Amino acid sequence: MDNPFEHAPAEAAGGNPFAAGSPALQREPITFSGRGGEYFGIWIVNLVLTLLTLGIYSAWAKVRRLQYFYRHTTLGGAAFDYHGDPRAILKGRVIGFMLLLAYNVSFQFSMIAGIAVAVALAAVMPVLLMRSLRFRARYSSWRGLRFGFDGGTGGAYSVFLKWPIFTVLTLYLLGPMWHQRMKAYQFNHARFGSAQFAIDAPVGAYYRIYGAAIAVVLLGMAAIGALLGSLADGNRAVFGLAPLLFILLLLFVQPYLSARLQNLVWNHMQLDGHRFESSVSARRLYWIMLTNLIGVIGTLGLFMPFAAIRLARYRLQSVTMLCAGPLDDFIAGQAQDAAATGEEAADLFDVDIAL
Amino acid sequence: MSTSPSDPVTAVAALYFDGRSARAHIVTLGVTDGVLHVEGDDVSRSEPLGALRVSEPMGDAARLISFADGAHLEVRDHAALAALLAATGHRDAAVVRWAFEPRMVVIMLSALLLSVWLIMQYGLPWAARITAPLVPDSAMTVLSERTLEWLDQALTRPTALPAARQQALREALSSVASIDGQPIVHTLLFRSGGQLGANAFALPDGTLIVTDELVALAGADAPVLAVLTHELGHVQQRHGVRMLLQGSATALFMAWYLGDISSLLAGAPAALVQAGYSRDMEREADDFAVKLLRARGQSAGLLAGMLEKLAAAHGEGAASRSGPMGWLSSHPDTAERITRLRSTEFAAD
Ligand SMILES: [Zn+2]
Repeated sequence: MDNPFEHAPAEAAGGNPFAAGSPALQREPITFSGRGGEYFGIWIVNLVLTLLTLGIYSAWAKVRRLQYFYRHTTLGGAAFDYHGDPRAILKGRVIGFMLLLAYNVSFQFSMIAGIAVAVALAAVMPVLLMRSLRFRARYSSWRGLRFGFDGGTGGAYSVFLKWPIFTVLTLYLLGPMWHQRMKAYQFNHARFGSAQFAIDAPVGAYYRIYGAAIAVVLLGMAAIGALLGSLADGNRAVFGLAPLLFILLLLFVQPYLSARLQNLVWNHMQLDGHRFESSVSARRLYWIMLTNLIGVIGTLGLFMPFAAIRLARYRLQSVTMLCAGPLDDFIAGQAQDAAATGEEAADLFDVDIAL
Repeated sequence: MSTSPSDPVTAVAALYFDGRSARAHIVTLGVTDGVLHVEGDDVSRSEPLGALRVSEPMGDAARLISFADGAHLEVRDHAALAALLAATGHRDAAVVRWAFEPRMVVIMLSALLLSVWLIMQYGLPWAARITAPLVPDSAMTVLSERTLEWLDQALTRPTALPAARQQALREALSSVASIDGQPIVHTLLFRSGGQLGANAFALPDGTLIVTDELVALAGADAPVLAVLTHELGHVQQRHGVRMLLQGSATALFMAWYLGDISSLLAGAPAALVQAGYSRDMEREADDFAVKLLRARGQSAGLLAGMLEKLAAAHGEGAASRSGPMGWLSSHPDTAERITRLRSTEFAAD
C-alpha cells in the first residue's frame, strides 16, 4: 500500500499534506474518529475505579478521557495529544475541594465568615483560572509542538473579576461585551509553538447572538407564566413546576448559544495567517443534545459516553482550517523549554473554560 | 511495504516529529537487539527501547512512541505495531486492557451497579448515622428556619386552634418529652394544614408542626401526643439531618456522574431521596414513641389507632393530592407499622 495513513485527509486536502510547498489556502478539515462503544469501556473503568478509590482515581480518569478525545482528533494527518500529569491534577482537585468545602461550611456558621471566604475566593479565582488556561494549553500538543498561553495577571483580574462586576452592576447589559473580552484574553495570548493566535470577533456579533437568545427566554418565561397562571386556579403549589419549566427553556436555548458562539469565535480566529471555518448548525446541535438527553435519562446515565462522543464529533468536525501555507512550517516556541519548570502547581484549580 | 502474516517482525510505517518543528517525516520502524531504528525522510535514528515510552492503545487512534528529547512517532499501522510490540515483550497496563475487553467491561458494569446499590443501601445510611451528630446546632437551626419559611409560604396557613387548647397540648407534650430523665428540646407549632390535611412533621432543630386537621381528627389530646412522640423520635435520632446528608451526598455524586452532560438534572434524584424517611427510620421513631408513651403508662395502641385514622382520612385517592410532605408519602408502609404496633411485642403490657 502506498499510503499507510488511513486517516490522512490527503484526498480532501487535494494533495499530500506532508509535502513541503503544498498549495496555498488549502482546506484541512478536523476529523474525529472516537466511537461511543469504544469510549464506553474507558468510561466505565474510569467510573468504577473512581468510585472504589473514593474519587482519588478521578485525576487519572480525567487524563485518560482527555487523551482519548485528543488522540482521536486529527488535523493534517496528525493527532492532537494531551500530556497532563494526573498527580498535578489530583493536587488541584484536593485544594479545590477544600476551598469549596470551606466556602459552604463557612456560610453555615456565620454570614460574616461566609462573606470573608467568598471575597478571598473572588480574589484568588482569576489567578487560578489563568493558571488553569496555562496548564491546559501547555499540556496540549499537535505534531510534537506544544500549545501555550501567556496571558498575564492583570488581564486575568480584568476579565475574571472587573468585567463580571461590571456585568452584574449593569444588570447583565455588558454580559456580551464581557464574553468578547474573555475570548480575546483567552485567544490573543494563546500560541501554537511560536505562532500566535489572534481573534477579532466584533462585540456587536456577541450582542446579536445573546439578544436573540434572551428574546427567546423572555418569550418562553411569559408563556410559562401564562400557562401556570391558567393551570393554577388558586392552587399555589402548581408554581412549584416553574423551575422545572425554566430549566427546560434553558435547555432549549443552550444549543443555539453554543452553536453560534463556536462559529463566531472560530470564524474570527487567526493563527499566523491561517484561518478557520466553523459551521455548527444550531438545529443539528439541538437535535444531538435533545436525543443525548433522552438517551442519558432513559439509560440512567449509561448513554453518557455515547452522548459525549456524538457531541464532540459534530462540534469538532464542523471546524476546518484554512491553511495559508504548509502545516510543516510551524516551529517550537522559545518558552517551550520552560514548560517543565515552576508550573507544578499550575493546575491548582481544575476549572475548565469551555472553548 | 508488505505486511504478510508470515513475516515475523515487519517494518512499521509511522510519522516522525522532532519536537522542534511541525514537519511530518514519513519513516519506518524496526527493532533489533532491543534498539529501535527509525529510517526515512531525512531521519535516521536509533534509540534503546528502555528510553522510549509507548502510549496506551485507544482504538483506531494513533499510538505515540515518545523519545526523551521531545521527539515522537505517530503509528496508525496497528497490526504491524502490535506484532512489533509483542516481539519486544511489551505489555499494556491492566487498566488499559480492561477498557477494551468486552468481558471486563461487563464485569465493570456489574461492579458499578452492585457498588452503587451497596452504597445507597448500606454505605450512605451508615455514613449519615455516624456524621449526623457532628452537624452543628446552628446549621440545623438555619435549615429548619428555611424549611418552615417555605412551608408557611407554600402550603400551610395560620392556625385556628384556640390558644387554651394549644397551651394544653404544649404542656402535655413537655411532660412527655424526656428520655432517661433528660428533657428533649422541642418547640410545638400549630398550623392550618390546607391541602396537607391531617398531618404532623418534625424539623431537624426540634420544631414540631401539627395541623389543626390532625388535632380535630384525633378528638382527644392523647392520640395527638402519640403522634408527636413519634415525631420527637425523628428529632432525637436526627433522622432529618441524616436524610439530608444522604441526599446531599447523592446530589454530589450525581453532579459528578452527570457532569459531562448537565448538572441541572442533579437536583432531581436528591429530591426523590429526600422525599421521605426510610422504613428503618420510621421503626426507630415508632420504638421511641412507644418508649415515651409507656413511661407515661400509655399503650402503643394509641399511635396505631391514630395511624389508622390518618390512613383513612387521607384515603387512597387523597394520598396523591397530599403533596410531597404528606403524611402518607413521608410515612410509608403505614399498614405494616400498624400491625407491628399492635403485635404482641408492643401490646405486652
Ligand atoms: Zn415518621
